[in-house]
Amino acid sequence: MIAFVLRRLAVAIPTLLLLIVFSFALMHLAPGGPFTAERALPPQVLANLEAKYGLNDPLWKQIWNYLYGIVVHFDFGPSFVYPDRTVNQLIAAGFPVTLTYGALSFVAAVVVGVSLGAVAAIRQNSWVDYLAVGISIGAQVLPNFVMAPLLVLVLTLWYGLLPGGGWSFSDPSFWIMPVIALATSYMASIARITRSAMLEVLGSNHIRTARAKGMPEHRVILRHALKPALLPVISYLGPVFVSMITGSVVIDIYFSTGGIGKAFVDSALNRDYAVMMGVTILVGSLTILFNLIVDVLYAWIDPKIRY
Amino acid sequence: MSLLKIRDLSVRFQTNDAEVRAVNDVNLDVAPGETLGIVGESGSGKSQLSFALMGLLAKNGRATGSVTFDGQEILNAPPKVLNRIRAEKIAMIFQDPMTSLNPYMRVSDQMAEVLTLHKGMSKRQAVAEAVAMLDAVKIPDAKGRVRLYPHEFSGGMRQRVMIAMALLCRPSLLIADEPTTALDVTVQAQIMTLLADLQREFGMAMILITHDLGVVAGSCERVAVMYGGRIRETGPVGPLFAEAAHPYTQGLLDAIPRVDQDEDELRAIPGQPPNMSRPPKGCAFAPRCPYRRPDCDVVDPPLEGFAPDRMRACLAPVPEVLDRRIATTQQKETLA
Repeated sequence: MIAFVLRRLAVAIPTLLLLIVFSFALMHLAPGGPFTAERALPPQVLANLEAKYGLNDPLWKQIWNYLYGIVVHFDFGPSFVYPDRTVNQLIAAGFPVTLTYGALSFVAAVVVGVSLGAVAAIRQNSWVDYLAVGISIGAQVLPNFVMAPLLVLVLTLWYGLLPGGGWSFSDPSFWIMPVIALATSYMASIARITRSAMLEVLGSNHIRTARAKGMPEHRVILRHALKPALLPVISYLGPVFVSMITGSVVIDIYFSTGGIGKAFVDSALNRDYAVMMGVTILVGSLTILFNLIVDVLYAWIDPKIRY
Repeated sequence: MSLLKIRDLSVRFQTNDAEVRAVNDVNLDVAPGETLGIVGESGSGKSQLSFALMGLLAKNGRATGSVTFDGQEILNAPPKVLNRIRAEKIAMIFQDPMTSLNPYMRVSDQMAEVLTLHKGMSKRQAVAEAVAMLDAVKIPDAKGRVRLYPHEFSGGMRQRVMIAMALLCRPSLLIADEPTTALDVTVQAQIMTLLADLQREFGMAMILITHDLGVVAGSCERVAVMYGGRIRETGPVGPLFAEAAHPYTQGLLDAIPRVDQDEDELRAIPGQPPNMSRPPKGCAFAPRCPYRRPDCDVVDPPLEGFAPDRMRACLAPVPEVLDRRIATTQQKETLA
């Protein structure tokens, strides 16, 4: 197992390298640049700016310099658009915010989704099942850009219960709406996957054996059915966790949370090469890491899997 | 005094299209220590019969009638009552040992939980008992293997684990639902011998569900032949096999290839088993029966005694069926 993890981590390095080179090249292939504006800059100014940020160098040299900065100094470069801030600072400011509401949303989505799906499967074709399926379909078809303004309308404007936007690490009332808005659709998917997996497991032969052994139903479900039913859920959760903790532009905009979700989209719109690359590398590394964690979890649950 | 008494047991499944009548008005008795074979082809209702009495029917299944065990009604009993009976009094082993054990749990945990639950043993005690039982079903190196997962055992060994797990509480009745179907022939023989030995050792009764007449002949005292959800013939193994009094039983016996006769073709019962969502009005076997008469399409004959200890459900007179001339003529025609 340890050898497997080490091997996977070793493979992660070339994977990340490829990711960087491709994203870098694609970004520069797209027409326009960080200093393209509606009102063109004087040619001399543009030339100076491009020289300052090394944009005149051949592409391979730019990539080389970029990689050199990362590997040697862990420096992801300065932002092209906010000249006084580095990418490291931008991510350090935004990522804790998204990490907080993302991780909380994840926990909420998993807890609610798995319970809803499991209960629906256990009481299949009863009103509980129909209610649970109804809730998850409702949550699925309500996108977060509808959910967010609705929440603000009801909880802030009508009842004045929660602040309508902004962020504070010390005051959880700022966290609630972003968490709900981000969690709902994921919760719905998790509930659907859990339900169908649970139904399949409950119909399987070894569950019949467990019942024939005189196990009470709750024990059959908790000890015998839950683990195998969670396998498909776990493989879905790896990538979902990454996309949740790296934020959502919709959440960042509606609730002015200042997370990196918005920073990423802004950087793409502004051709802020360095910020775009920084967030891409962050998401890429997290994806690799959590795919590995999912594989390890799989081996832990299913004894037939050996690496 | 019978241990298990089944009266008018019927099982219905509600599907989207229709109601499937899997088991119809079955009456059976099992005496303590006795081995009863239930024989029939796939879909004859023999497995659903056993699931019904253990309360293991699928969610869309309903059982009606009465099943008493030691004088206690167990059919459709509340889970609390059933869970005291299951494993403790009536244990069950299943057809497919590959999937019937929990693939995510060590054998030790799967076996020990039976004893911690029913006998209130400590985990350590329960595992020790599990090892002893694995020894009893002749699993080599039981102490070392008890920590393994089911996929680390071969098919035959897994069925031994299933049997050991079923016997942990020393049940007075073991239901074996096609215990050897998924195993190869040599392993089949070992498992059947083992079951017979254990049955004698523990003095338990056994219901052996199978479609293999050879297995029945080798290990049962009494047989019930099922077709279309009903019992068509019952009796002691010897007389029933020697003089099958129901055309379906005859057909089954004729379909066994024989080594002592020079045969070019395997004999089969012509036709298809009935669709139990639209069962025929009369006898379910009538469309395939060489002794068919006009009444057969109207009346489904009840199970009636015709000789000591023997019962059958058929309108054709016993001498005509035993004479076999009609069946033989028809077989010649189908072969020709």
